[in-house]
Amino acid sequence: MTDIDLDRLLGSSQADPGCDEAGELMDAYCELVSRGEPVSDRYAEFLTHMRNCTACREDMEGVLAMLRDQEGDASR
Amino acid sequence: MTNTLALDQESAAWLRELRQGDPARTEAVARLHTLLLRTTRGEAFRRRGALPARALGDLDDLCVEAASDALLAVLGKLETYRGAARFTTWACKFAILETSSRLRRLAWRHRKVELDDSIWDRLPDGAPPVLQQIEHRQLLAALRRAVQERLTERQRLIFQSVTMEEVPIDVLAERLGTTRGAIYKTLHDARTKLRRALVESGHGDDGGEQ
Repeated sequence: MTDIDLDRLLGSSQADPGCDEAGELMDAYCELVSRGEPVSDRYAEFLTHMRNCTACREDMEGVLAMLRDQEGDASR
Repeated sequence: MTNTLALDQESAAWLRELRQGDPARTEAVARLHTLLLRTTRGEAFRRRGALPARALGDLDDLCVEAASDALLAVLGKLETYRGAARFTTWACKFAILETSSRLRRLAWRHRKVELDDSIWDRLPDGAPPVLQQIEHRQLLAALRRAVQERLTERQRLIFQSVTMEEVPIDVLAERLGTTRGAIYKTLHDARTKLRRALVESGHGDDGGEQ
């Protein structure tokens, strides 16, 4: 088994704040990414949760897609 | 208390107009609802390819319900908005979460969720992709033993459903009558136990367990 496979089954052992706390940071994180700004260490645990939780990762992809759409609308 | 000084002009205007007693509130709520509904429809459209064909007819009702619930969530949490993101991003996040959760539940509406220990016996043929990649038979055997010996029945159901059957955690939460946060906590505890068991049986290190 590779480390990647183990990670998918067992998740990362790094600190993980869980869905609720990660959800609080999701909008600010997605704006940073959408603007192409650097992401600070403040988001390290958030990113661990995104790796560990498929549902939250899908939600984050939804917020990022929404921001991309809004940006597209604004530039038209 | 919300620090409105740090807000951009547009976010501050949303916040002011949505507060009880503001003369522009009714119009602002209607504008917000329109924005949330556009967001739920956009998200459903983006993800429609992952849905079973029979579910597509229910999509617009789902979007309308998700937008209504998102509106209630935003208005109920207005005082918790801190301005870390633009108001519209913060508000639309609730529309995405409501839509996303509903889409996952819709996709699983006719599928059963149950503890299925035979998943381990279906290797390698017919096994989920994640397990097909596992080449190290000893490690797999140790993991299976740890799942059976170290986890409670509920932890086993949640661990196997989420990681091996790819059941979304909000579907599990609905079926088990609990919250998504509680399901994730159980999954996290189960994974921690399993990592520890694997280390004890000589497979890898704990990677700086937190």
